Order: sequence, then C-alpha cells, then structure tokens
Amino acid sequence: MHVVIVGNGAAALSALESFRGHDRDSRVTLVSGEQGPAYSRVLLPYYLRRRLSRDGLFIRRADDYARLGAATEFGVRAEGVDPARRVLELADGRRLGFDRLLIATGSSPMRPPIPGLDGPGVHTLWTLDDAVRLDSVFREGARLVVLGSGFVALQAAWAARQRGLQVSVIELLDQILPRVLDPAAAQILSERLHACDVEVRTGTRAESVETDRGGRVRVSTSGGDRLPADAVIVATGARPNDQLLPECLEPDRPGIPVADTMETVVSGVYAAGDVTRGPTARGGPREIHALWPTAVEQGRVAGANLAGAGRSYGGSLSMNVTEMFDLTVASLGQFVEDEGDDVFEEHDRGGIRYVKIVTRAGVPLGAIAMGAPEGAALLGRLRPFVRHRRALPDLPAFLAREDLDGRLAHRSAAKERTSCASLQ
Amino acid sequence: MRIVAVDPDACVACRDCEYACAFRQSGDFARSASHIRVNFYADERACVPLTCMHCEDAWCLAVCPAAAIDRDPGTGAVTIDATRCAGCKMCLLACPYGNIHFNAETGVSAKCDLCGGDPMCVRACISGALRYVDAEELADLRREVVDASLKRLLRLSKGVR
Repeated sequence: MHVVIVGNGAAALSALESFRGHDRDSRVTLVSGEQGPAYSRVLLPYYLRRRLSRDGLFIRRADDYARLGAATEFGVRAEGVDPARRVLELADGRRLGFDRLLIATGSSPMRPPIPGLDGPGVHTLWTLDDAVRLDSVFREGARLVVLGSGFVALQAAWAARQRGLQVSVIELLDQILPRVLDPAAAQILSERLHACDVEVRTGTRAESVETDRGGRVRVSTSGGDRLPADAVIVATGARPNDQLLPECLEPDRPGIPVADTMETVVSGVYAAGDVTRGPTARGGPREIHALWPTAVEQGRVAGANLAGAGRSYGGSLSMNVTEMFDLTVASLGQFVEDEGDDVFEEHDRGGIRYVKIVTRAGVPLGAIAMGAPEGAALLGRLRPFVRHRRALPDLPAFLAREDLDGRLAHRSAAKERTSCASLQ
Repeated sequence: MRIVAVDPDACVACRDCEYACAFRQSGDFARSASHIRVNFYADERACVPLTCMHCEDAWCLAVCPAAAIDRDPGTGAVTIDATRCAGCKMCLLACPYGNIHFNAETGVSAKCDLCGGDPMCVRACISGALRYVDAEELADLRREVVDASLKRLLRLSKGVR
C-alpha cells in the first residue's frame, strides 16, 4: 500500500506518527509546498518577540521523516487529485499514485476585501518567510497597524510593542478576540493593551490601504481617520486550503467535510486539521476548528484509519490558550451562555483576574480564565467534563483546590510586578 | 516503567514531599516551585498529594506545539525540555489533572521528571503515602485506595468518625 500525506503541519505529522503505530511496512510519502522539516506556525510570534531563535521554530529534524519511514517531497505543491485514477498531481508535473490519501493542507490567511492590501507594506504572519520578513520590518519606533484582533493579530501586536514599535489594532466587531473571549474578558485584555500603549479601535472598519512611493502606508478607517504606518499586518482570520479535491466539498461552504473516521466523501481519501469541517464534541453540525490541538487529534484518528484501524473521532472541542501582554488568556468550549444556563463568574480570585464557567444542568459547557497561568491549568482540569458532557457535582469544591487560593495569590503578586515592565 | 503512586489515606499533609521537590527544582524551599502539590481539604479532613502520572498516552506530549515534551528513554518519564518550551501553556490546558505548572520567572512550563529515577518526594515521604512503584502494580494499589476511600466516605455519611 502507498499512503500519501499532503501537508507538514500538526495534522500531517500526527497522522504520520499514528499511522506508523499501526503499520510499519507500507510506503508513505509526505508532500509539502514549503521547504524542509516542519516548523510550528504557532511559534512564529514567539520568534518575532525574540523569545525563540529561528532554529527553535523547527519541531522536526530532517532525519525524523526517514526514522518514520516516510519519503518526503518538500518544496513541491500538490496541484490536484485524480480520484478515479488515484493519482496526486504535483506542481512540477509529476504524478504520484496512491492507495490512500490524507489532505492536511491547513489554512491560509483571509484577505478581507479592502482596496490596497496587495501593496508592499502589507504583511501577513502565517509562514516562516512571513516572520523573517516582519523581523526586518520590526524596527524600534516604526508604526504598525494590525487589522484584526484574533490570537495571531494580538500576538503580533505584542511582539511589535515589545520591540518598541507604535501599534494600532483595528477590529471590525465591538470587542477584541471575539471568537476566544466574552465581552467582559475582552474588556480586561483591552485595558491591558491600553496600559501597554497599544491603540485599540473596535467597531472600526479599515476602508482602504494606500502605499506611497516611499513605501509608507496610510490606513483609512470607517471613523474617517487616516493612520500613517510603516507596515500593516492583516490578521483577520484564516480560510481552509480546500481546493485540492473539489469533489470532496459541499457547494459554497469552505472546509472539507469529514465523517467521524476523518474520511471524506471520496473513499480512501481522508482529511485532517484546519482544512476540515469535522464533528464537534458537543454534536450538531460539523465545524471548522482551525486549532492546533484539534489538528493533532484529527491527525491521530486519520493516521490510524489510513492503516485500517477503524477509529472514530469524538469530535473537536475549541480550546485556546496563550500569553498576551503578560496575561494568560485561555478559553474552552462554549463560554457564552444561552438562556437557562448557569454562569459561575468570579473576578480577582488570587492571580486569576477573571474566571467564568458556563454550565447547563450541572454540566460544564465552557469556560474562560484570564490572568495567572493557573487559569489554564484550571481549564485543563475542566476539559474532560466539557468534552464528555459530565456533570460536575460541586463546582465551588472544584475551584477550591488549594493551588488556586493561597499559592496562586502568592505567585501572582510577583507576576503583577513584571507587567509591561519589558516594554519600558 | 515506575511512577509515583499516591495513597491519600496515608498522607498526613506534612508537605515534606513539596519541600523536597522544591529544593530539587530551585535550591530553595518555596513550595510554589514544587511539582507535587498536596491539596488539603480541612472540612473533609482529606489531603491528596497530586503529581504527574506520566500517562501512557500523554496528551500534553502529543499537543505541545513546540515539540518540547518528550519521554525519557531511561525512566519513561514525560519531560519538558526547558530550552524548547516557548511558554505557550498548551500543556497546562491539556493536562486533565492540573499537574503541569508554569514557572513565571523562567517563563516555561514545568513538571515532574521523576528526578531521573530517584524521586525526592518519595524519599522525603514520612508516612508511606508516596511510593515509587511499577505502573502495573499500581493498578492493584489503586483498587485498594478506592476501596478505602469508599469506606471512609460511607463512614462519614453515616456520621461515624
């Protein structure tokens, strides 16, 4: 059997390793449009923040692929699939026959319909090349406008601020991080951004971007302002790279729909990661959860099933965590309540600035924690209950674990002192 | 492989395990540096030491976006490479037991590494609550622990002290 994996990110790597756990003999080829061993897109802002070196971005060594018995075709884009002949068409004209195929092509930054986004001063932060380009743009005192306020946008803003740039963030909706935080948590983070001299303009549309002959940029906003900048980063979300096999798609809907087995409607063709529209832990319609942990989980199931293991995916659960402007920001599942849901909310519990847990009939549906890192660990303990829809018998007792009280307050005290210090 | 087995009924909440671990990690006795944490519930008269179980299928290891978590070939311990960890805290969110902690000073995640095969917490334990045992033997131990806990809860619920 010949298995072909298209992609070299979280889903592809997880699938390769999982496949080899079930099948040590079959031929595997991994195809990626980018060069070299895998790097982690999640880490790119850490590189810009000078937290990691360029070498630190790589999460596999060149010989890891051989160790897993996979031939590699790096730097070659897959252009299309002939499902009848079971052939993958490569950009250099070669045709790669397969018995089973995994599409793990990820996603790409969305380009909102704003005139002028093709100018030289406009960047994205998605690939290693993007990050290296931005590294030379991040000069102290330069002005940066960030379009969007998701994780990528705000991490880019934080990195830029730490390197002494003047930063403005423009968000179309009325709050920052709309898909990751509720309005109360977003407000806490907005205040922190403000304290770190990042200008935040919510409810604002970027109307156009003009680049003059000197390479300077002006961003015109719906508020009638024209913001001068040396560079613009567009980070308004991602869309799946789902055009490899159009037969897999539903009309006018992005993302390759997959069954619980991660198989597409084309027999023997699987998909995993950002490119998929997959089952979710809470049931209901399939969704695109373009998140690293989801890609790892889906890749694992897909890899096992490429080997015929007959695994079924329990569905993805949205989970986010990062540190931004010295605040740990974490959320899980469905954290905005519907009518009839119970909400447990607490402010300033030790070092955790804000905790919110939404439950329905005793079953936790989702949560937010902001502030000290212990909030992420709290959400971690809550995650199995959310995922398996298990009732949590005694929520106050759950929260009363000692490391959340005494020790947490102690640790956060040290943490508070460092806030924004690195910026001054 | 061997892991640190915990018997909450034997624990007397002396916290010597925390001090031993903290000293190993930091050269000091600030309990916040400890990877093992004793949760003490005064009302329930219960104390539960918690430390990494080095899960066979370790979700923290699989999910780390920096490939900073690996399994020690010698001890089987799930370990964090502090030089690779970017501090993203995905492992804290991944651990269902709350057994990974974040070191705010160094900005990296930290967890039990079994002290390379000679866990200090076990050495320091005065009550026999912590034992460094084979994971298979632990399955039998766990059965005993669950039995004991059930008995205690039943006693409490009937008002017998």
